[in-house]
Amino acid sequence: MVEKINFIVKDKSFEKFMMMVILGTTGGAMDMEMNFFFTFWGLYLLKKKHKPKVAGMPFPMKGMATRMFKKRLKKFGLENSWELIKEAIEDGKMKLYPCQMTMDLMGIKREEMWDFIEEPIGAAAFLEMGEDAKIVSL
Amino acid sequence: MKKMADKTFDYTGLKCPMPVLKTKKELQKMTSGQVIEVISDDIGAKKDIPALVNKTGDELIEFKEDNSKLIFIIKKS
Repeated sequence: MVEKINFIVKDKSFEKFMMMVILGTTGGAMDMEMNFFFTFWGLYLLKKKHKPKVAGMPFPMKGMATRMFKKRLKKFGLENSWELIKEAIEDGKMKLYPCQMTMDLMGIKREEMWDFIEEPIGAAAFLEMGEDAKIVSL
Repeated sequence: MKKMADKTFDYTGLKCPMPVLKTKKELQKMTSGQVIEVISDDIGAKKDIPALVNKTGDELIEFKEDNSKLIFIIKKS
């Protein structure tokens, strides 16, 4: 049986974004099914215009810390995160689901998000998907 | 019997998750039975590469350490 892990993403930070990228693409490479359900602030990570900022830094240093982390990650060979995600999605191993209700609650439109993600779903659909899976909250 | 690798990939300098993602990508391009050699200096890869092949069903036929270099010989299933 294919191992399946379903993640709940509720924050819009750089850290949560990178965790999603690394775990999602790696699980995909390991032939596992990796589903991500984005709710509340996590929805921002799916917006084309959102630039995630480091959460674990006080406000005036967020921009600088984000730039420094990105520069180091590039040295480690990790850049163009959305390209890596797109590849994993095209391989059929990684799926990104926005939560419909919190989209309406926060006024976020489907058109603002990347077009290669899944169509929005609700709580029941996400839980049903998780029946035979591990569920992890990021 | 020792088999020479069909291809070698040097991922020196790269860190998690890139050695795993790149190794998988190259394995996908190979045909069954072909052998690749992967070189990494990322300590994390020591456990990551075996975990990858364990899941994909490919075979780690040899692992050795040469100073700070980790060398993996992998046979595509």
